[in-house]
Amino acid sequence: MPVLRTDENTFNSARAALVEALIRTGQEDRDAFRAVYRMTSAKLFGICLRICGDRQGAEDVLHDVYLTIWNRAGAYQPGRASPISWLATIARNRAIDWRRRQARGRVVPVEEADHIADGAAAQDDVMLADEANARLHHCLQGIEGRQRSAIRSAFFGGLTYAELAERQAVPLGTMKSWVRRGLLALRGCLDADA
Amino acid sequence: MQTPDEPGIDAGPDMTAAELALGLLDGAERNVALRRLVDEPAFAADVERWRDWLSALFAGWPAVEAPADVATRIEAALDARYAEPIPVVPANDNDRRWRMLALGASIAACLLLALTTMLALRPAPAPQRIPVPVAAPAPLIAAIAPTDKGAPIAAAYDPSSGEVRIEGAVAVPAGRSAEVWAIQGKAAPRSLGVMPASAHARMIVPANLRPAMAAETLLAISIEPAGGSPTGLPTGPVVAAGKLSG
Repeated sequence: MPVLRTDENTFNSARAALVEALIRTGQEDRDAFRAVYRMTSAKLFGICLRICGDRQGAEDVLHDVYLTIWNRAGAYQPGRASPISWLATIARNRAIDWRRRQARGRVVPVEEADHIADGAAAQDDVMLADEANARLHHCLQGIEGRQRSAIRSAFFGGLTYAELAERQAVPLGTMKSWVRRGLLALRGCLDADA
Repeated sequence: MQTPDEPGIDAGPDMTAAELALGLLDGAERNVALRRLVDEPAFAADVERWRDWLSALFAGWPAVEAPADVATRIEAALDARYAEPIPVVPANDNDRRWRMLALGASIAACLLLALTTMLALRPAPAPQRIPVPVAAPAPLIAAIAPTDKGAPIAAAYDPSSGEVRIEGAVAVPAGRSAEVWAIQGKAAPRSLGVMPASAHARMIVPANLRPAMAAETLLAISIEPAGGSPTGLPTGPVVAAGKLSG
């Protein structure tokens, strides 16, 4: 199982700085908000871009994401989710909402989404590189290939069952069956490791 | 949930919580799952657990530097938000309607009257402003009734400023937040943001949600993790709801 080796001090101080900037953003501190933006915008733009598959759309979504962050930071409490996960979830969901509004718009193909490396976190992902990350990747590696591929495509591409089935040219019921078995196995592994 | 539409294929185990967390569901299936979020606390907790697990996958997403003008646009949007709103003098028919509403003896009506007064007392346009020749759009109001017990809450939405004023408060457990949602017809709930902890809260409706702020749109308040739902959809119980009307 690949374990991510990162400098613990770097990890802790980056995370602490982000938590503090978020708290101060909640007190309507525009400088702190700018700091949050500096620390996270490349990460969140990467998410928006990947899901939207359209640069202009991703820019619009990123704009919306940071206004949401400004609105919600006031009630952010450290100790729940990691700050970057919390922010990234907002970005992913906003981007998926955008993509769904684009009816039949062009989206990131499954193959491309699936090429994102397993476990190999980039240097800028220091705030996410933790035990949970390593465990999830370990458990994903343990499930059957087609199931893993579909789950990863759903997450990375923001694809629904219907879209996954269409892209893989399999019946909807088959795709649902693959994914559900994969998710069941994943849950078993994550529960066992917890 | 099973899929009876395709006999002969094993639909597999019920993994609805994971499917919702991953965003696999759409249409009716998604609506049913969203409903369960509100109705079944154990299901909601399961969805939350999946979201925590899956968030580890974000580490694999490549970062891309955002164009500089996005930061500029965000700054401009925040500047605009804190600028003085363009004053609006309510038209006479609005005044009449506000008074009619205030005739009701309920607590909600009293709160609405207070809101009406606030709207009416807003300053007249300063002389240097360019007058707007068309009548300002009428405010929309909602009496948001608690689902369990407690005092009603009144909300007024001013389309000209995009601001919602909320009179009254909901009980929020420690470490949680109340989040306000707009639900138009059968569409999925859309967040108006976390409700400020104040008996006279004001919230600015994001520009892309303003078209949804129309008569018959349901406003709902749910209890969410601190900072609001991380998913963009309600994850906790709905504690109050009421429809906007013109």
